[in-house]
Amino acid sequence: MNDLNLWVLFFLCGLATYLIRLSFIQLHGKSGPLLRRSQPVLLLLPPAILAALCIPPIVYSKQAEGLQVELAQILAGCVAVVLAKYFKSLLWPILGGMIFLWGYRWLIG
Amino acid sequence: MNIRDCRSQFWQGVRDLMPLVSGVLPFGLIVGANGIALDMSPELIMGMTLLFFAGSAQLAAMQLIQENAAFVVIVLTTIVINLRFAIYSATFAPLFYPLKKRYRMSMAYILSDQAYGLCSAPDQQQRSDAERISYYLGTVLALWVSWVLSVMLGIAVGASIPPEWMLGFTIPLAFLAMLMSTITNRLLLIVAVASGLAAIFLQGLPYNLGFILAIVIGVMTGLLLPRITGRSFNSIMGRPHE
Repeated sequence: MNDLNLWVLFFLCGLATYLIRLSFIQLHGKSGPLLRRSQPVLLLLPPAILAALCIPPIVYSKQAEGLQVELAQILAGCVAVVLAKYFKSLLWPILGGMIFLWGYRWLIG
Repeated sequence: MNIRDCRSQFWQGVRDLMPLVSGVLPFGLIVGANGIALDMSPELIMGMTLLFFAGSAQLAAMQLIQENAAFVVIVLTTIVINLRFAIYSATFAPLFYPLKKRYRMSMAYILSDQAYGLCSAPDQQQRSDAERISYYLGTVLALWVSWVLSVMLGIAVGASIPPEWMLGFTIPLAFLAMLMSTITNRLLLIVAVASGLAAIFLQGLPYNLGFILAIVIGVMTGLLLPRITGRSFNSIMGRPHE
């Protein structure tokens, strides 16, 4: 995508995000039942989205000859999962996973 | 309404947000640095940051841009990720609705996860509306400033990070860490596994459609499973019956 396309893309995404934020504040009281009915979906969305976002790029890398399973990245992901269980801050799982990945590449190549 | 109480609540909000900066800073660094790695200009990254003001949606959009996803898929993904703001919007509606339209509209722009978390503390619920709005403003303005500064720092640092560091991998790791914090019961774990597996197998579909489909499969699993096992959704989620 060129710069102009990206600006248009970001403007549309920003506008959509703003309208979601404004939604109930602006429509106060008029959409309570709708929110109650859609609440199960809203509660289930975060794990579904986050898993769909992070699992494929951890398992695969895109090479010229197609998708390739990346053992080092999968193990780094496991390190991050363990660290995320013990630390509340996002910093430690990210840093731990990266350090594992660098160490693995340095040792095994 | 007492101006001094409001002022003290504003600064209380700023102070309460400070510990959360440790979570915001690495996130902002990753957004800024990855933007540079994607060959985006600093103006474009800052423009994106001000337009979105939503870190996870920004990272997701960057990942999808990197994967050459279709325009529509990126917009759709942003909307789906930011749907949670609808819940926050409903939570703050009684507080903000009486305000003048222009104030209401600016309050909505700076709505964030962190402000929602801090402002729904029981201690805040007991205060007057004016004090609660002041506290809200303290948290969101402190968050806004720290977010924008973190992204700027990421842009400044990003140019000097060598490609061998595989900086791009910080994006899925950040989502993985966030995923872990959202899994609070077994149903949510199953939803995550279903969606993750579906995303792996549907990876080959064009325009990153597999990603949207995987989310649908994950959510459907979470909606259908309680019915199959004969338990109510609310009891599994640990929420009281309405």
